[in-house]
Amino acid sequence: MLSLLSLAKTYPSGVEALSNFDLEIRPGEIVAVIGGSGCGKSTLLRVISGLEPATLGQVRIHGEEVTAPHPLINLIFQEPRLLPWLTVEQNISFGIRHLDAREQGRRVRGVLQQVQLQGYETRLPKELSGGQAQRVAIARALVTQPEVLLLDEPFSALDAMTRGSLQRHLLHIWRETAATIVIVTHDIEEAAALAHRVVVMRPSPGTMLEEITIDLPLPRNELEADLDPFKKRIRTALHRSLAYADGTDLMLV
Amino acid sequence: MTAADLSSEKQRLSGGKPGYRLRWSALSGLLTALLLPVSGFLVWQILVSSGFASGRLVPPPSRILSALWQLQQTGELSHHLVATCLRVLSGFAAGAVAGIILGGVTGYFRPARRLLDPTLQALRAIPSIAWVPLFILWFGIFETSKVTLIAVGVFFPVYLGVSASLVSVDRKIVEVGRIFRLSGFEMVRRILFPAILPALVVSLRTGLGLGWMFVVAAEFMGASEGLGYLLVDGQQLGKPDQIVAAILVFAILGKLSDGLLVLLTAPLTAWQDNYQKERK
Repeated sequence: MLSLLSLAKTYPSGVEALSNFDLEIRPGEIVAVIGGSGCGKSTLLRVISGLEPATLGQVRIHGEEVTAPHPLINLIFQEPRLLPWLTVEQNISFGIRHLDAREQGRRVRGVLQQVQLQGYETRLPKELSGGQAQRVAIARALVTQPEVLLLDEPFSALDAMTRGSLQRHLLHIWRETAATIVIVTHDIEEAAALAHRVVVMRPSPGTMLEEITIDLPLPRNELEADLDPFKKRIRTALHRSLAYADGTDLMLV
Repeated sequence: MTAADLSSEKQRLSGGKPGYRLRWSALSGLLTALLLPVSGFLVWQILVSSGFASGRLVPPPSRILSALWQLQQTGELSHHLVATCLRVLSGFAAGAVAGIILGGVTGYFRPARRLLDPTLQALRAIPSIAWVPLFILWFGIFETSKVTLIAVGVFFPVYLGVSASLVSVDRKIVEVGRIFRLSGFEMVRRILFPAILPALVVSLRTGLGLGWMFVVAAEFMGASEGLGYLLVDGQQLGKPDQIVAAILVFAILGKLSDGLLVLLTAPLTAWQDNYQKERK
């Protein structure tokens, strides 16, 4: 169980990025966090991952407080952030250096299969397409066998075809690993297609505006009609969120 | 069209076999690099041979080569060359190691940077020739003072290159290291050091170039051997061909040592993605 308890984050510049954020995430659940720019979505993931300390409140995994990067939590960034001097194989095994070579090889082969990049082991990042590089980044996170996988708009820079393909990969990985997934996105379709629960955030300071549970089985087709009422609810909540960003009175929306 | 035809057509369009292309690329690079100096020498030789220039103060290539040949025949050239190379090598090694260590410390630890960097930057601003009298007083006129002066010349570009490139390593890749819970030492070894390697190579090349400059100043400090000594000797005895011959040897040594450094460090920076590689 991942628990976020009254989380708040104020940066040294005085910007209040998060305030009073509470959320309980069950094991194996996929939660999508959605909201306009600057509403604290990325800060939320950085605090959960331990990259940023919370100013107030706590992140807990299985009751243990997370104050620094934790072995059970891994974060996939918006950009692949592969180390350009390492091959695909070396990038993937980067986080499992403590294991013996045989185990490293076994795990790397396993995740390469999961992200369907067999045969790319010796390539350098500069020889990969954007989608392939992001799949390597996913594999690098998966190889550590995290219980919680955080994804910060991981597909936002990719074209629609690659994005759809990677979303299917993510669901395939989720079925195989049963990992808890928290994905930040600004794409309503993506949130509705992937998540059990969608958390809509509002800005200034970043806090939860609405929580929408989507009780349809996964995988889902983005175009299926059953999703439409959920998308509508998410869209309405997002409009309210954007009204906060614009300073518009909530009642006018 | 058969598969063999297709393959030969591809080869034709790409400019032939890869091995052949590489050899041709290396040869054409060498010829292009030699074009300017060889043309200059040829023009000067023609001007002197045809009587348009006297060649008394700026000797023609034939006299320079002759002076080099004579120096080589008497064994003087090898002797002076070895003495200079050993000084540059020792000074470069000492300066580079000190530059990497201090640059690493100030680049990685902010308190160390605040403490040491202002003083080192002030020392960097001192004209290096100003150290000469002090080094002679401290270390005498023999090897120690000369090697120390070269090391000072090498130290500053290496220090600055390492320190500045460490400070500017992309936060995003450092965060990758943090997510995977690297210790401080591992962060340096697995992320920071590889990330600054291209900048380190450039600063080592700059340092080595300065090493060759400083060895001349060092060998002016009462040396009895070395290429710098040949320069002083040529000036005192009115032998411009010996002076130009020594300068030419300096140019060749500088270029060769730089090329060797580039060659040795090339595998460490082969991962770099730049437009020049794409244009090859």
